Amino acid sequence: MEIKKTVIAGTLESSDIQITLSPATGDNLEIELESDVLNQFGNQIKKVITETLQKFQITKVHVKAIDQGALDCVIRARTITAVQRALGQTEPAWEEL
Amino acid sequence: MTKIRQIFLQIPSLKRKWEQFLHQQGLTSFSEAEVTNLDFTLGLYEGQKLLGTGSISDNVLKFIAVIPGELSATYFNQIVSALQSYLVQNGQTHMMVFTKPQYEASFNYVGFKTLTKTIQGCLLESGNPGIQQYFKNLPNVSNQNQHQVAAVVVNANPFTMGHRYLIEKAAQENEIVDVFVLSANHSLFTSDERFHLVKLGVADFKNVRVFPGGSYLVSYATFPAYFIVSKDNVIRYQTTLDAQLFRDQIAPVLNIKRRYLGDEPFSHTTNIYNQTLKAVLPPKIQVVIIPRLQQGNQIVTATAVRQAIAHQEITMVKDFLPEITYQFIQDHQSELLERIGKGVNISGN
Repeated sequence: MEIKKTVIAGTLESSDIQITLSPATGDNLEIELESDVLNQFGNQIKKVITETLQKFQITKVHVKAIDQGALDCVIRARTITAVQRALGQTEPAWEEL
Repeated sequence: MTKIRQIFLQIPSLKRKWEQFLHQQGLTSFSEAEVTNLDFTLGLYEGQKLLGTGSISDNVLKFIAVIPGELSATYFNQIVSALQSYLVQNGQTHMMVFTKPQYEASFNYVGFKTLTKTIQGCLLESGNPGIQQYFKNLPNVSNQNQHQVAAVVVNANPFTMGHRYLIEKAAQENEIVDVFVLSANHSLFTSDERFHLVKLGVADFKNVRVFPGGSYLVSYATFPAYFIVSKDNVIRYQTTLDAQLFRDQIAPVLNIKRRYLGDEPFSHTTNIYNQTLKAVLPPKIQVVIIPRLQQGNQIVTATAVRQAIAHQEITMVKDFLPEITYQFIQDHQSELLERIGKGVNISGN
């Protein structure tokens, strides 16, 4: 599946992460991550985002993530919300949670 | 516990407090006109105490200030977040900031990318579609870099014989001419109307292409003073940012080597803009100034056309206008008058 509009979830506050999904420029998942702990946790953050997107079968999207030290559960929750906004789903996706 | 609340600047007592707060944080040089143009203002409060504020005008974040101290970065991020979600909820996913250089890093930290900067100011953007997306929508001819390309930037409010004359000159002297029509909606004619009239008005020149200026050419973000009356020094640093953005980002993509300007006998702001372009663009880009077209002994200006519309004397300026523009004005006269009645500024640009 492919994301066709731009959506944002999350904030820039401490311990949160702001996820912006927008149409991909290439043919796959692109993740642009900004974080103070990029060297320590960059790969882990990208992994959580990628896995969450995969659960929704999203293969083509540009992700911009601005991390302020979010835990994995927060990263997952913000990604799910962003996807649901992009897909126009209003019911919580319980099985993904 | 901090809370974000909207500040209603229409209420004089709230506005006074807000202005006082900005003064305390060192934000002093803003005009009444700029404040009136704000769409939304919020405050970050702890109880009744104001900790920070930020505003939105179109897609531009403005007047962001927080109290100094350990938590200032936290407050700043909270405010930027709240402004962003306000914009996104209103369908605006691209945003810009025009700020002092010392705040560049704070905005970079929350995902804003610097477009251009001078000693006095700095322009940043975030979100989608950004400048790379804008470039993608400018179709390059295959070997653009081997052609002599010139650019003309117009507001065309509305498109007159004067604009046509300027573009015609450029078309005669260059292989390709790229015309950019300003996209901001702060003029008597809407951006769609202006774009449409320019496109039709130059359709017979085969080497002219017309593009929207988007957020990057004399936009409300890069150059608000074009749309609202401002002091000379303000105009000067805004025009410098605009000129640098054109020189460093836009011109290289399209291989633009010349920029054509109409000589400016009337508008003070545009005159300063022309001077800045002459100072900033060369040697990379040659600036060519063309004297204004005259009909009889009158200089053709869009300002005169707008005045004529306001006074319902459109036939007086018939000679100033291409047939298509004239027809458009005749067909939409009542609508244009209504806009003037609602207070659209017609004497500026």
